Amino acid sequence: MKILIQIAIVFSLCLAGEAISTLIPFPVPASIIALILLLILLLTGVIKVDHIKEKSDFLLSNMAFFFVPAGVKVIEHFDTVKSVWLAIVVIGIVTTVIVFLATALTVKLILKVTGGKK
Amino acid sequence: MKEVVFSSPFFGISISIFAFAIGTVINKKTKIALLNPLLISYVIIIAFMVIFDIPLEWYNNGGDFINLFLTPATAVLALTIYRQRDLIKKNFITITIATFVGSLTSIISVVALCKLFALSDTLTYSLIPKSITTPMAIAVSSSLGGIQSITVLTVIITGISGNILAPLLIKLFKVDDPLVQGVALGTSSHAIGTSKAVELGEIQGAVSSVSLTFTGIITVVLSLFVTYFI
Repeated sequence: MKILIQIAIVFSLCLAGEAISTLIPFPVPASIIALILLLILLLTGVIKVDHIKEKSDFLLSNMAFFFVPAGVKVIEHFDTVKSVWLAIVVIGIVTTVIVFLATALTVKLILKVTGGKK
Repeated sequence: MKEVVFSSPFFGISISIFAFAIGTVINKKTKIALLNPLLISYVIIIAFMVIFDIPLEWYNNGGDFINLFLTPATAVLALTIYRQRDLIKKNFITITIATFVGSLTSIISVVALCKLFALSDTLTYSLIPKSITTPMAIAVSSSLGGIQSITVLTVIITGISGNILAPLLIKLFKVDDPLVQGVALGTSSHAIGTSKAVELGEIQGAVSSVSLTFTGIITVVLSLFVTYFI
C-alpha cells in the first residue's frame, strides 16, 4: 500500500506537469515542470522525503533502463538521414565531448578563481 | 501466432529488461566503459527484431509502457537535488555560468561542424538543440525550421555518447571533483547523461539534474538569436 501511495503521488505530479506544460507558452517539458513542482513541495515541507523515498529510489537506481525504448525507436529515423547519417553520428559524438570538456573546464576555472566550493 | 506473441506489450517489456540485464552484467564483468548497458541493449533488441523480422510497432507496444516512466524518473531527480540543496545553493552561480558556457559551446560547435560537413541549413537547425532533453529540443528545432525526427535522433546519440564517454573523459582528463562531473554530464548530455551521473554518486546526480534544466532553458533562449549568426 505504501508503495502504491508513493506511485500515486509521483504520477499525480507528472499529470500536473503535463497540464501546466500545455498551458504555458514556453516549451518546457512535463518532466521538468514535475521536477520543479516536487522540489518546491519538498523545500516547503508539504511532501516529506519518506512520502516518496522507495518509489524515487526505484526510479533513480534504474534510470538508464527507461531510455532503452527511446534508443530502439531511433531506428525508424535512420531512413530519413540515409545519406548523411555518418556525419550526424560523428557530429553528435564530437560535439558532446567538446561540450563536456568546455563545461568541466569552466567549472574548474571558476572554482580556482573563487577558491574552492566548501 | 507470431503476431500474437510479439505484438503483446509483454514482449517489448521483457526483451528490454532482459537485454538491459545482460548489458549490465557484461558491463560489470568487463568493466569496459564502451560496453555500456544501454548500447548492449540496443544491439541485442535490434538484432532480435531484424532476425525474427519484428516490426517496430510491435516492440513499441511494450516500449511505450517503459517510455511512460521517463517523466516520473526525471521528476524524482528533485529528490537528489533536495538532498544536496546546500551544495547547489553554494554553487548556484558557478553552475549557471558553466551551463551558459556549455550551451553556447554546443550551438557554436554544432554549427561549425555542420559547415565543415557541408550539411544543409535544415539539417543544421535540426542538430542545434541536440544537447537538451527531447521535448525541448523538438520545440527549438521546429521553431528554427528543423526536422523533428532528425532532432530526436541526434538528441539520443548525444545522450548515449555522454553516458558512454563520460567515464573515459573523467579518467583521461582527471575530472575528480563530483561537482565538475555533474555539471559536465548534465550540460553535455541531458537526462541520459544524468542517469550516468546518478550512478556516479548523489552529488553528481543532483548537480547534473540542475544543469540539464538550466541548459534546456538557456538553449531555448539562445536559439532565438541563432539565425543572426548562421
